[in-house]
Amino acid sequence: MHQWDTEDVETVAGIVRLLRRAAELSWIQADAGGPRSSHQLFAVGIDTAADEAANLLPRRVRLDGPTPVGQDPAALLGSAEQLLRRLCTEDPPPRLRALQSRVSELVWEANSGADA
Amino acid sequence: MPTLDRRTVGELLADSDSLARETLLDLSAGQSAAMVRTFGRVVDAAARLWAVLPPAVPPRRSEPDLMLRLRHVANGIAATTSAGHWPGPGPTDDRLLQIAHNLSRARILVERYGGDVQPTTADVRGDIAAARARIMHTLYVAAHGTAVAIIEHTKDLQEQLRIDIRRRRPVAQRPSVHESKAAQALSIRFGVFEQLVGRYVAGHPVTPAALGEMRPVPPASRLQSVLAGWDIQAHRTLLANPDAADLVRVSRIQALIASATAVVSEAAANQGIVDRQVAQRVIPFLDETQVAWTSVARRWAELTSPESRVDPLLVRAASQVRATVAATASNPTGWATPDEIAGRVDLPQTMNALHLNMVSTVDVAHVTRDIAATTPTLTAPARQIAMRAQGEAEIAADQGNTAYEGKTWATERQIATNQVIPLPTPARLGLIKATDHLIASCGSAVAAAAPLDPSESAQAMRPAARAPATRRSHHHVPTTPQHESAPRGPQR
Repeated sequence: MHQWDTEDVETVAGIVRLLRRAAELSWIQADAGGPRSSHQLFAVGIDTAADEAANLLPRRVRLDGPTPVGQDPAALLGSAEQLLRRLCTEDPPPRLRALQSRVSELVWEANSGADA
Repeated sequence: MPTLDRRTVGELLADSDSLARETLLDLSAGQSAAMVRTFGRVVDAAARLWAVLPPAVPPRRSEPDLMLRLRHVANGIAATTSAGHWPGPGPTDDRLLQIAHNLSRARILVERYGGDVQPTTADVRGDIAAARARIMHTLYVAAHGTAVAIIEHTKDLQEQLRIDIRRRRPVAQRPSVHESKAAQALSIRFGVFEQLVGRYVAGHPVTPAALGEMRPVPPASRLQSVLAGWDIQAHRTLLANPDAADLVRVSRIQALIASATAVVSEAAANQGIVDRQVAQRVIPFLDETQVAWTSVARRWAELTSPESRVDPLLVRAASQVRATVAATASNPTGWATPDEIAGRVDLPQTMNALHLNMVSTVDVAHVTRDIAATTPTLTAPARQIAMRAQGEAEIAADQGNTAYEGKTWATERQIATNQVIPLPTPARLGLIKATDHLIASCGSAVAAAAPLDPSESAQAMRPAARAPATRRSHHHVPTTPQHESAPRGPQR
C-alpha cells in the first residue's frame, strides 16, 4: 500500500466522493434510457473508477463527507481528474497512474461520445 | 483389512462414468437429497484430479478454466444447502461417493506415477484428452441424474401436498412449501451446471471411437474468456462474505451483459446467423432480465454506506467485461450497428459465449437470493432503509398482512446520525421478492434462448423439453450430444 500523508488521503477520499456522485447521476440517466441504454457502459466505467479509487485507501479511512455539488457527471469527472493530476505530480504509484488514465478516458467519453 | 485397489487411472475413470450412468438407470426421488449432499464431493475430487492431469494441448493463457467455473457453481450449491435449505444434513449417496473416491484415487495415482508423463506424442496426448473427457462426462451425467432425481422429488412433494390439502390434513403434517421451492431452485441450479459442462461434453464425446482421439479445440474468443472469468469471480466474491457494494456491482454488470446480449442477438438475426423470429422472441426476455438486475442493484445499493468497498478482483473482472462489451458492441455514439458488430467478431462464437453466460447467470441469481435470504448480518444506513421497510410494510398491509402495523424501523437518533442498522424484516422480504423475480426472469430468458443454442444440453432447459420423467430405466444416458441428428436435450 502506498504511503499517503493526511492531505493526500483527504484528496483521494474527495475523488471517491466525486466519482461516486458522478456514477449515481449516470445511473439515473442510464436507467431512464430503458433496458438497452448504452449509457450503462459509461456508468459502469465510472463505477469501476470509483471502486478503484476507494481501494487505493486502507479500509480504516472513512470515505463519508459532503456530497459534491453539481448534477453533471462530466463536470464531476473533470473535477476528479484535476484532483488526480494534483496527486500524480512525480512518479505516482502504478495504480494511481492507472486510475488517472481511466478517469481521463471517461472525461473524454463524457465530452465526445453519446454522453456528451 | 480392505482389499488393495489395483485399478488403473483409466479403469477408475471408466468405473466413475459407469456409476454416473447408473444413477440415471436407477432413479429414485427418495435418493435426491443424498445425491445433492454428495455432489459437491464429486466435483471437488474431479477438480483436484483435473488440476494434476498434464494438459492434452498447451494451455492458452486466455482459455477460460471450465473446471474452476464448475467448482464455483458446486460451491454455491453447497453453500445453499449448508445454510439450512433442503436437503439439510443426512445420509450420502453411495454411487456418487464411490465416484468421488475413484477420482481421488486416480488423482493419487497421477500424482505418484504421472510425474514423468510428458504430452509429447499423439498417443499420450490422446490418453490425457480421453481422461479429461471422461471426467467431464462423469460430472455431466451425475449432474443430470441429480437434477432429474430432484425434479421427481419435487413432483412427489407437490402431489403429496395436493392429497393432504384434499384430505384436510393438519398443515404441520403436510410437506413444506419451502422444501418444494428449495428443491425446485436446486434442480434449476443443477441444470445450469449440466449446461456448462455440456458444452465440453459436446466437443469431447465419450465413445469407444472417440476415446483417445484428439480433436482441435477452437480458441476461445476474448469475450468468451472474459465472461467466463467474470462468472468465476462473481461466484468467488459472492460466496466469500460479500459487501452489499459487491452485490450492486455484480447486478449492474449482469444487467450490462443482458443488454449486450440483446444487441448482439439483434445483430446476429440481422446477419442471418440466428433465426429472426427466435431472436425477436428472446430479446424482450433479455430486456426483462436487464430490468430485473437493475432493480436488484438498486435494492442492494440501499444497503451500502460510504464505507462500502468492492472486492478489488471483482472490480478488475468488471472492468474487463466493460472493455470487452465496448469493443464488441459499442461505438462512440452508442451501441454499434449490426454490420459493425459482424465486422468485429465471429458472431456465432460470440452468441455462444453470451448464451452460456445467460445460463450461468441463473446460478448467480440464485446465489444472490441466498445472500438476501440467509445472511444474518445484512445492515443498511437507517434513513433509506427505514423508508424502504415502511414502504414494504404498507404494501404488506394493503395485502392484508397487519403484522408490521404500528412498528418503527429505526430510532430518531439512528435516523439523525444515519447509523448503520440491521436490515428490518420487511426490507429483507422486499429484497428476497426482487431476487425471486430476477430468478424467474433469468430462467425465462434462458428457456426462450435455448433454440439459439445448438448444444443439446441447452435444449434441456426449455420447459417443453423437460418432459415428465418416468421412474427407472427410461432415462437415456447422455453420451454424445454432437452425434444426434438434431439438437435435443437429454431425455428426461
